[in-house]
Amino acid sequence: MSWLPSVVGGVVVRVGGALLLAAAAIIGPDRLRGLRGEVAGRLWRSRRALAVLGVVLVASAVGRSSLQAVSGLWGLRLTGLIHAVEGEFVGWVQTTFATPELTAYFSWVYVYGYAFLLSFPFLAYLALPRTETLERLLVAYALNYAIGLVLYTVVFAYGPRNLNVATSLLFTHNPDFTALTSEINEATNVFPSLHTSLSVTVAAFAVLTREEYPRWTPVALWLSTSVVIATMYLGIHWLTDVVGGVALAFGCVYLSRRLVDGDGDASGETEESADGDAVAGDA
Amino acid sequence: MNGQIGRREALARIGLGALSAGCLGRTRNIAGRDRASQLTLRIDAAPADRDPNGIRIAKHLAENLNAVGVDARINTLRETDLWRKVLINQDFDVYVGQFLELDPLNPDAMYAFTHSRFVTESGRQNPFGFTDITGVDEQLERQRRAEGDARADAVTDLQRSLCELQPFSVVAFPDPLTAVREERFTGWTNRRPVSPVGLLGLERAGTSDVATANDSTGGNATADDVETEDGGDTLRLVTTDANITENWNPIAAEYRRGGTFTALLYDQLALVDGDEVVPWLCSGWERGDGTVTVTLRDARWHDGEPVTAEDVAFTYEFLRDTSMGRLEAAVPTPRFRGRSSVVRSARVIDDATVELAVGDVNDAVAARALQVPILPEHVWSDRTEAATIAGFEFDVETTEAVVTNNEDPVGSGPIRFVEATAEESVTFERNLDHFLVGAGAVDGDAASDPAAGIPERFRGKPAFERLEIAVMPSDIAAVQAVGDGFADATVSNLGPDAVPRIGREADARLVTGEAGGFYHVGYNTRRTPLSNPRFRAVLASLVDKDALVDDAFDGYAEPAASPLATSPEWVPTDLSWDGRETDPVSPFVGDAGSLNVEGARERFRDAGYRFDDEGRLLSRGE
Repeated sequence: MSWLPSVVGGVVVRVGGALLLAAAAIIGPDRLRGLRGEVAGRLWRSRRALAVLGVVLVASAVGRSSLQAVSGLWGLRLTGLIHAVEGEFVGWVQTTFATPELTAYFSWVYVYGYAFLLSFPFLAYLALPRTETLERLLVAYALNYAIGLVLYTVVFAYGPRNLNVATSLLFTHNPDFTALTSEINEATNVFPSLHTSLSVTVAAFAVLTREEYPRWTPVALWLSTSVVIATMYLGIHWLTDVVGGVALAFGCVYLSRRLVDGDGDASGETEESADGDAVAGDA
Repeated sequence: MNGQIGRREALARIGLGALSAGCLGRTRNIAGRDRASQLTLRIDAAPADRDPNGIRIAKHLAENLNAVGVDARINTLRETDLWRKVLINQDFDVYVGQFLELDPLNPDAMYAFTHSRFVTESGRQNPFGFTDITGVDEQLERQRRAEGDARADAVTDLQRSLCELQPFSVVAFPDPLTAVREERFTGWTNRRPVSPVGLLGLERAGTSDVATANDSTGGNATADDVETEDGGDTLRLVTTDANITENWNPIAAEYRRGGTFTALLYDQLALVDGDEVVPWLCSGWERGDGTVTVTLRDARWHDGEPVTAEDVAFTYEFLRDTSMGRLEAAVPTPRFRGRSSVVRSARVIDDATVELAVGDVNDAVAARALQVPILPEHVWSDRTEAATIAGFEFDVETTEAVVTNNEDPVGSGPIRFVEATAEESVTFERNLDHFLVGAGAVDGDAASDPAAGIPERFRGKPAFERLEIAVMPSDIAAVQAVGDGFADATVSNLGPDAVPRIGREADARLVTGEAGGFYHVGYNTRRTPLSNPRFRAVLASLVDKDALVDDAFDGYAEPAASPLATSPEWVPTDLSWDGRETDPVSPFVGDAGSLNVEGARERFRDAGYRFDDEGRLLSRGE
């Protein structure tokens, strides 16, 4: 009894369609053709980065609810502090700019745009002959999730909609989306904004790979900026969460370039998987 | 102001002054004094997803406090964590919450809430640490014994004391709001649609009168089983409160709000139905000299054991001390404390008869003492030892009974537990052994009627075979679930963003009840300056109840000053809001929601408080 199947179906269809279009327009037929024989080899070469991301995602899925309980009991209760620091900024954003058209746009970007933004680079960098960018991207994703999970446990804070600083525009206009977001997000996981950090991570990679995919860079910048604004416009995140998310993104991109060197050899990965295991162990 | 500057100068010269021996004593006299600093108040409240109304009250108060120079911060917590902090640990400054005892609001409901004998106890009883021995305590005791006009006088005095001393500030009585769709079940027009009696009174849609309802639900069990497969006779509710999916302990204060579903799992001896108290698990009771003698119906626990007088006697002793004398100090129940405190002892007469010693309390209070969940001795007598984590005694001041989640609850009520997925859903089914099921419409001789004294509309009920409760992320999603046909009704409170939504859903309808539990701001009177009634009175005047009724409740609430405001027969005219523009006790300092800052500061100054030159309210201590 829920909206989940229809919402997930909607995301799969829309994002799938967008990926096909973008693959044709951005990756180009040559690289796509090259992908056919190479894909297995490239995935195999990226296996360690894939494994790291897999471990982090599984640990996050398994451990999240118990870590939330820990956070509720012993986490730093920062809702009041964040509110005291930034006040009604998010509410001001809403009252100043909110229109039905913008709400529709940002709700759309927050769900579909974000899913596309995260999945397309995987395809695009897989289509590159060298796998180091793909590995860096995967490691950066893993770092985002791993560090995010630690911060979510340490910081116990509710978002602006829960303090009635802002209206929950996403849920007011698309209550069915809550079926999806509540599967993925806990209401107390606001700092940092992972929507922000992962979007900015993708944007940073898009800038770094602008010579390979010149058409992707402006699209990624546009979409990621939209997602970042959407997190606040929709009343889900504080400005503080967004600032934290941007910092996390740059940190993760930097670390991923340090950990995965230019030969496509992921030298720092032993350390990294140890980190993932530690998270699983906590759970 | 002068004195303050003088002291600052003295402190600035502290280095010079301390050098000369003659000045050392003077330095000590001054520097030894703690300086006052800005008052910080933390306002604990549940987040908007859980309580859309309470957070708006908290925010309103915080804004006005900040405006007058108090550093007020809202601390949002998950509801169980919030109530554990406030009710159990008593570690709070100010909280916003709802009084959870519902109507008809017997004045004795204030007994547990404000009597000083409960200040050291953990639970719903006196969370404020409030003590007024010669006033409130005496009035509470008096209303328990006095009858008629004398009781009314005691209750009047009690309300005047509570309004003057403000251990808590009543904000408003919300109308219980529910979004319903009536395709499958009708009869949602109760004063409180989602209450034990409201749910039991529901009818299956399409069955026009009670007799047919009885025939179709009680008569052909096999047909019903088939229907269960397609869910046709399943009542589906949605709530934002996940507690009922993981904890079924009827006495766990931090998990229960109204305790609607645990009240359906665990029968009480008597039940409030509208303005009447009707016999429920007992077929009737008689007042003797200082006693109430209760005769039990023929009933069974969900595990098949018979309900006996021993269970009833055990329950009352157990609620008084959940360790049953096994721990150094008694561990009283954190819920039902006021009601169970009426019963001093219980004596088993025979298997179906028990005599409760209640002293010389009046009939209304004696009937209230019968409204506690009766617990099976064979389950709860094993839960009297100190609570442990992995075998270690963690806190010797509590028992297993208080902290247990009570998985697979064994009650005697009209529903029984089937299964649950934590934080997602819970399923109950109709208890076919319950006395309501066998009770047809009254016909023939009353003596053989297993449900003698039970009102007509509960006979043969509940009308559902299964009861499913699903957890929703917010009130808006809950309303939408009803609109989209995933659920028959919402359980939890609806906020001002959710209410208009109901009108836009073709198949959903808004049902408004009357007078829910009042929202209030509770103060921890153990802490300065909240220990000062003058200070609390000024805080009360910073809350614009009229504006909040519009902003936080979309108009679906009544502002009030007295905690008994919805029972007008008890309320003296000087405390009544009726026919007034403003609060009769603590009029808002300001106009239409906007605070008169200077006026509010003046009130603080009148109460003896000071501000620094940046306008911050100063306080010593903490």
